[in-house]
Amino acid sequence: MEYEVAKIQEYGYKDHTKIKKFWNVFSKIIVALTICLLYISIVIIFIQSINSSSNASEFEHFTLKWYFSITSNRALFNSLINTFVISISATLISTFLGTLIAVGIFSLSKKHQKLLLLLNNIPLLNADIVTGIGLMLVFSLLIKIFPYFFGWKTLLLAHMYFTLPYVILSVLPKIKELDKNMFDAAIDLGVRPYKSLFLVIIPAIKAGIFSGLILAFTMSFDDFVISYYTTGNGFDTLSIWIYSSIGRKSLSPSVYAFSTLFTICSMCAILLMNLRGRKENKHAKKK
Amino acid sequence: MSRYFKKLGIPYLVWLFLLAIVPAIIMVVLSFLDCEGTDFSSASLTLVNFAQFGYSSTLIAFLNSLLYSSITTLICAVIGYIVAYAIFRSHFKNKFLILTLLILPMWSNILLRVNALKSVMEPHNIIVSLLNKMGINILGPSLAGTPLAIIIGLIATYLPFMILSIYTALEKIEYSLEEAALDLGLTDFKKFWKVVFPLSFKGIVTGSIMVFLPCMSGFAIPEILGQGNIVLIGNVIDMLFRNMNYNVGALLSVVILALIIGAIALVNKVDKEGDTLI
Repeated sequence: MEYEVAKIQEYGYKDHTKIKKFWNVFSKIIVALTICLLYISIVIIFIQSINSSSNASEFEHFTLKWYFSITSNRALFNSLINTFVISISATLISTFLGTLIAVGIFSLSKKHQKLLLLLNNIPLLNADIVTGIGLMLVFSLLIKIFPYFFGWKTLLLAHMYFTLPYVILSVLPKIKELDKNMFDAAIDLGVRPYKSLFLVIIPAIKAGIFSGLILAFTMSFDDFVISYYTTGNGFDTLSIWIYSSIGRKSLSPSVYAFSTLFTICSMCAILLMNLRGRKENKHAKKK
Repeated sequence: MSRYFKKLGIPYLVWLFLLAIVPAIIMVVLSFLDCEGTDFSSASLTLVNFAQFGYSSTLIAFLNSLLYSSITTLICAVIGYIVAYAIFRSHFKNKFLILTLLILPMWSNILLRVNALKSVMEPHNIIVSLLNKMGINILGPSLAGTPLAIIIGLIATYLPFMILSIYTALEKIEYSLEEAALDLGLTDFKKFWKVVFPLSFKGIVTGSIMVFLPCMSGFAIPEILGQGNIVLIGNVIDMLFRNMNYNVGALLSVVILALIIGAIALVNKVDKEGDTLI
């Protein structure tokens, strides 16, 4: 006598292979489309940088002349220098102060820590336009005391204001992971607290400090709205210069050349860092 | 350690008070005053600024902002989840590299990117011109100045934020939880709905806030891509401050600020340790 063989479906098995195949294809299409969407403007910027016509909608023939005229375009070059000076100094100051502040926040009691972190979220989440206008209002109250305040000073303060939270939030988790005995050991061995902060703690959290630095620079370099409101007359950053050039419809293709160069440089930096990281991993495995 | 460095946090409290709290107070005060710029000597107390809410242009700008940023956030959440999940599940060894490739466009100037995007949305653009030279005759889409153009621009600008915060949330899920779900007899699909998705939900919330807020208040993207046809609340505030009408501008900024405080409260509720924000 033969029994009916139970099918695997009767045990509750459902065949999902088709759905999985569909998902595989579908998700790949979406990822590809996303990358296209994110990179189309980069590609356009690249094409415009090698276009001999300064008309943005017509391609004449290949040229590299815009790359050589980056430095000779006075307004663009000045704004570039301003941007680099402001973002590099704001990033360095914020990274240094932010690390110390993160150590300070970590040392506070839970309640105070929470309060400070809540306030720390304000510059991060606040709308750029509200931050920019708010800072401008505060700075303009100070203008009676410091008449020539608006310009690089206000810009530097504003950039420090919105980059500090990024540094603090990248450093703080690393401090939390730290072995607290290390610091106590340093103290027991007779090193003074601030010296051991720099000799013991900071080397141990340098990964967090570095990612904070990169984030801070990214935000500072790319900022438009806050700089737009807090800068003074005549002190343009790259974004402000681009904005006013777009308004006048007189954007020089040299800026496309600069942007392309910058993208290529950052791409190389990422690849190099990646290769180095891989080598270090291999070394670690060998050991 | 906590004995020695308590003092390091205190200057930051003063700094935040001066640059985050004081501006908010000034804005609230300004919105009840009638004065020129920040010249308080000639100021008089008034409620006339609130009449701005009666103008249909302000209301339309507000509704436009809400509508555009909601649509953008929704689309970004869906696409962002799919992309983040695909990267998370992919067998690439070097996921860090893929993620940096997604962030890389953000290192070019945002205005330049938006302007480039606008140029593709015009019938005669540089790609069409290049194709014409190769003998292919087509016309580009005439999108510039339409609502769709603004939404595409907003998505292209803010999607990386969404992908990154969802990815961070996904990465924090412990694999043992998924194994447990499979051991207990869940199918892959059920495991996703009942285990992975709820655990990654806070990534969607923080990502949505990071997309929604800048969309809501930005003025450069709608100005460039909308070509002045579509006015969002950011453009209204910008115009008011440019015309030295600080009082009404401050009032509208206070409204945005209230929205943002709500968002911060939401973040705090969903994400108590503040670890998915960056």
